[in-house]
Amino acid sequence: MNVLFPATADAVLEALRAHPDARLMAGGTDLLVRRRAGAVAPGVLVCLERVADLNGVEVLGDAIRIGAATTLTAILENGAIRERLPLLRDAAGAFASPPVRNMATLGGNLCTASPAADTLPPLCVLGAEAEILSSSGTRRMPVADFVTGPGRTALEPGELLGSVTVPVPGGGTIQHFEKVGRRKAMAIAVVSLAALLRVEGGVIAEARLAWGSVGPTVVRCPEAEALLAGRAPTLETFRAAGESVRRAVRPIDDVRASAGYRRRVAANLLLRLAEKAGPAALG
Amino acid sequence: MSPLPSMGSRSRRFDAPDKALGRERFAADEYPENLLWAGALRAGAPHGLVRGVDTARAEAMPGVVAVLTAGDVPGANRQGFIYWDMPVLCGDKVRHAGDPVALVVAETREILAEALLAIEPDIEPLPVVDGLDAALAPDAPRVHDLETGNVLKQATVRKGDARAALDRCDVVIEETFFTPQQAHCFLETENGTARMDAAGIIHMTVSTQSPFRDRYEVGQALGIPQERLHVIAPFLGGGFGGKDGVTVQCLLALAAMHAGGRPVKMWWSREESLLAGYKRHAARMRFRLGAGADGALRALVCDLDYDTGAYAHLGVEIMALGLEHASGPYRVETLEANGRCVYTNNPVAGAFRGFGVAQVSFAFEGMMDRLADRLGMDPLELRLQNAIRRGDRNGVGVAMTASTGMAECLAGLREHPLWRTRGAWVREAPPLTRRGVGVAAVLNGMGYGRGLADMAVAKVRLTVDGRFRIYNGVSDMGQGNSPTFVRMACHVLNQDESGMELVQPDTDRSHPSGSAAAGRTTYTYGKALIRACEAMRDKLLHRAAMALLVDDVADLELAPGAVRHPATGRALPLALLGSKLHPDDRCCVSEAMMPVTRDVPEGGEAFRLGFPHLIFPYAAHLARVEVDELTGRVAVADYVAFTDGGRVLDPQTYEQQVQGAVAQGLGYALWEDCAAEGGRLLATDLSTYVIPGAGDLPDIESHAVETVEESGPFGMKGIGEVGMNGPLPAVASALLRMGLPMTRAPFTPERILAALGGDDS
Ligand SMILES: Cc1cc2nc3c(=O)[nH]c(=O)nc-3n(C[C@H](O)[C@H](O)[C@H](O)COP(=O)(O)OP(=O)(O)OC[C@H]3O[C@@H](n4cnc5c(N)ncnc54)[C@H](O)[C@@H]3O)c2cc1C
Repeated sequence: MNVLFPATADAVLEALRAHPDARLMAGGTDLLVRRRAGAVAPGVLVCLERVADLNGVEVLGDAIRIGAATTLTAILENGAIRERLPLLRDAAGAFASPPVRNMATLGGNLCTASPAADTLPPLCVLGAEAEILSSSGTRRMPVADFVTGPGRTALEPGELLGSVTVPVPGGGTIQHFEKVGRRKAMAIAVVSLAALLRVEGGVIAEARLAWGSVGPTVVRCPEAEALLAGRAPTLETFRAAGESVRRAVRPIDDVRASAGYRRRVAANLLLRLAEKAGPAALG
Repeated sequence: MSPLPSMGSRSRRFDAPDKALGRERFAADEYPENLLWAGALRAGAPHGLVRGVDTARAEAMPGVVAVLTAGDVPGANRQGFIYWDMPVLCGDKVRHAGDPVALVVAETREILAEALLAIEPDIEPLPVVDGLDAALAPDAPRVHDLETGNVLKQATVRKGDARAALDRCDVVIEETFFTPQQAHCFLETENGTARMDAAGIIHMTVSTQSPFRDRYEVGQALGIPQERLHVIAPFLGGGFGGKDGVTVQCLLALAAMHAGGRPVKMWWSREESLLAGYKRHAARMRFRLGAGADGALRALVCDLDYDTGAYAHLGVEIMALGLEHASGPYRVETLEANGRCVYTNNPVAGAFRGFGVAQVSFAFEGMMDRLADRLGMDPLELRLQNAIRRGDRNGVGVAMTASTGMAECLAGLREHPLWRTRGAWVREAPPLTRRGVGVAAVLNGMGYGRGLADMAVAKVRLTVDGRFRIYNGVSDMGQGNSPTFVRMACHVLNQDESGMELVQPDTDRSHPSGSAAAGRTTYTYGKALIRACEAMRDKLLHRAAMALLVDDVADLELAPGAVRHPATGRALPLALLGSKLHPDDRCCVSEAMMPVTRDVPEGGEAFRLGFPHLIFPYAAHLARVEVDELTGRVAVADYVAFTDGGRVLDPQTYEQQVQGAVAQGLGYALWEDCAAEGGRLLATDLSTYVIPGAGDLPDIESHAVETVEESGPFGMKGIGEVGMNGPLPAVASALLRMGLPMTRAPFTPERILAALGGDDS
């Protein structure tokens, strides 16, 4: 096997042109697992770990740009993300374990496009945008459109995910992430919920919700979001939105959990928002 | 015997530096020069007739040294303990998905993997016996050709007439409990290396709990005289029972016979270990318990079914321990315990810490909690009231003449702050959270039990340069028996640890001392070692007398590195003594045997070996448990264990045993389940077979209740297993207190959420 270590994004694209059958490798925490299982056998690996322009976190006014090859550890430890994107920070904190986070990258998580990917629900509710590089130029699209199905993305041959730009939500928003795995660390999500709530004058002005692991890709539920808007953030309010969530999700049975469990928990997790929105709301 | 001077104090383990520095060599670390790799092709099909195995393509591959099938196995081609029912390579029939049908020896691991893929087995599928119900159905397909269908063994143990007594009880509780198969998940998966020398002797270095027995088992299976098998057992990276009995050994020896004298290595991947390694028996336990209105236990009737999977391994003995322990650490007036050990096409079940007892602990403690509920009694007081005490007869009628600290363990728990403040803690539960505090009282028979001599032979040698070398005879799988042996020897010989050397089991150098199992390793070998060291001390004092011009050895003593004459201050260095003595004279060998009971309960004759026991360690456990109502997630917030293991020889090793057992027991309670569907495992690796991580485990507080076990070395008895039995019932007890009566382990969020009820649309 031939392993290449380009130093710039252009050199990566060049390598992809020269070796059409090459595979990109960032942290390798998905790719190498698949290789061990015999699911992929790339002849050429193009590694991203030394590509400086794909790596790092940059604050651009009201948005934060994260290079595709940035590790989960770097995301977790970044001050700007901690302060302004606690939703993404919490997802990174719930991700695998420290040694895996030291290797795994944001771009790898998106490109693997697993229904259980921890960073996807937060990026979707935050309205993040993916930047795709190719030798013919750069294109952008919402992360929600970038992932097209389980294991499928909008990437064309020869293309590369360059970065993700995340708008910072305004003040007064409650950001909440919860992952239900089968243990505290080193567990794939059985259900996850990312939520953004803007509460104004004791009522929910806006709710954005996204679930992981309960459908082929991230599940949104505009019906529940609409139901919540204009109501006080109480247990009753969130319970009332449960039915629409149970209808919206399309979970499967697997070794980790049954579809029934996933469906029920997807709705239940909303109730945690009542706690988050202030003890006064609990009733 | 006087206590060890270091008792009550912590000190560095003798084996710690080598382990901390990565110098310790485990079997998996052996990469002899010029080695070949061996691997087995697994059936894949859980039940089927082997029509043929086409090895032509694999044999033709460059780098493939040998491809072997059942026809190449020279001996009986049967492995086992008492029931020799497990082929080394299957020729006629496969009985579980992990059954091996071919063995490949190759130049590299990569070639090995390709060759295994190139073999084409032709297996005609048979209907799969996927569990107890399928196995016991009237027209069930037979896993083995037994007249009794799939029932390998059925037995009943009785004390009095329990059925009649049940009819007269004020209250009768009835419940059925289920426990899953559990995998050992040792860090070091099954492995070893083997080489056949020019004289035809096969030398093996294996990760094994039973090196001496391995010779017998491999010898029988392959038709090799035992003296042509040499087994070395270095420290193990975990065992827990899963390496008691051969794993890689027969395949490895067979491979070595076809390797032209080159060394061969076999090392199961994690997936192979889960597929082909032994498991804890899944069990179904129907209990009926009768009591007086005052809480006195009058009658217990139970039916225990153990799923032994495709082969017997130690299944019958494991079921026997289930029957023996069915009434827990309690006085029960009458008992009828019925057991069946049943063949299925599930993975092979075998020995696992808590050997048959971990299963029934869930059931008898579940009954005690339900009884306490019914009678409106405090669950801890009910247990204390019925706790077995010294002099009582236990559930199967054996008189408890040894140390019996069950009540002391429970009394310790009763005074513990976490028990005393339980009401407030439960009341202060945060929103959407339920809390409960549970207790469990458990025990675990020590040693092999009646009929199977629990014996050890210790050897200690004075080296030519005046140090003492201990030849350990029972594997150290991490439990720390061998560093404890060093401590004991230091004490008897009055030496510093710097003057000691430690050799791990080696069939050419140490003596047969049984397996590392049954909480017996420190007890039995330790007793033998004390004797060997005392003999060594006497010998050296006598040998030194002449040189020191002393004619009464009572005037001499052993000191670190020397024999000393305190009256004159004269000393003879051990190095000098060592260089003068004949090698044969520098060695002492002594043996010890564990006492057994003469009481044989009614029905006990059905078990020739390993039933009943005389000496029991005990434990009382407490768990503070939280349940999240939204997800059904169970978190154990705090954990306390009081353990009666007799005198504590080394507080740190003791605590490590308790903590390790509790961690493994919590895994059994909350996560671990080798569930199979149609004989195929659902969880095939550690990403789906979930064991707890550090974040999932509470702080585990360990207290020793130091009874004195007079028969034991320095008053100790073994606690390797008892701690495993407490967590499952302790967590269940807490859940019952919060209105969640669980009868099926593990308590997954899914099962808890279902028990919480509510809408499930
Ligand atoms: C033990 C373990 C635990 C895990 N736990 C979690 C968890 O808790 N949560 C979770 O979400 N995931 C988890 N994962 C999965 C995995 O770690 C993540 O998906 C991770 O983000 C992948 O990143 P990577 O850099 O390692 O990807 P790689 O394995 O390097 O790549 C994955 C795929 O993406 C492609 N790729 C990578 N970067 C780019 C790019 N810039 N442009 C185009 N294609 C690209 C690669 O070609 C490959 O196909 C776990 C994995 C392991 C082994």
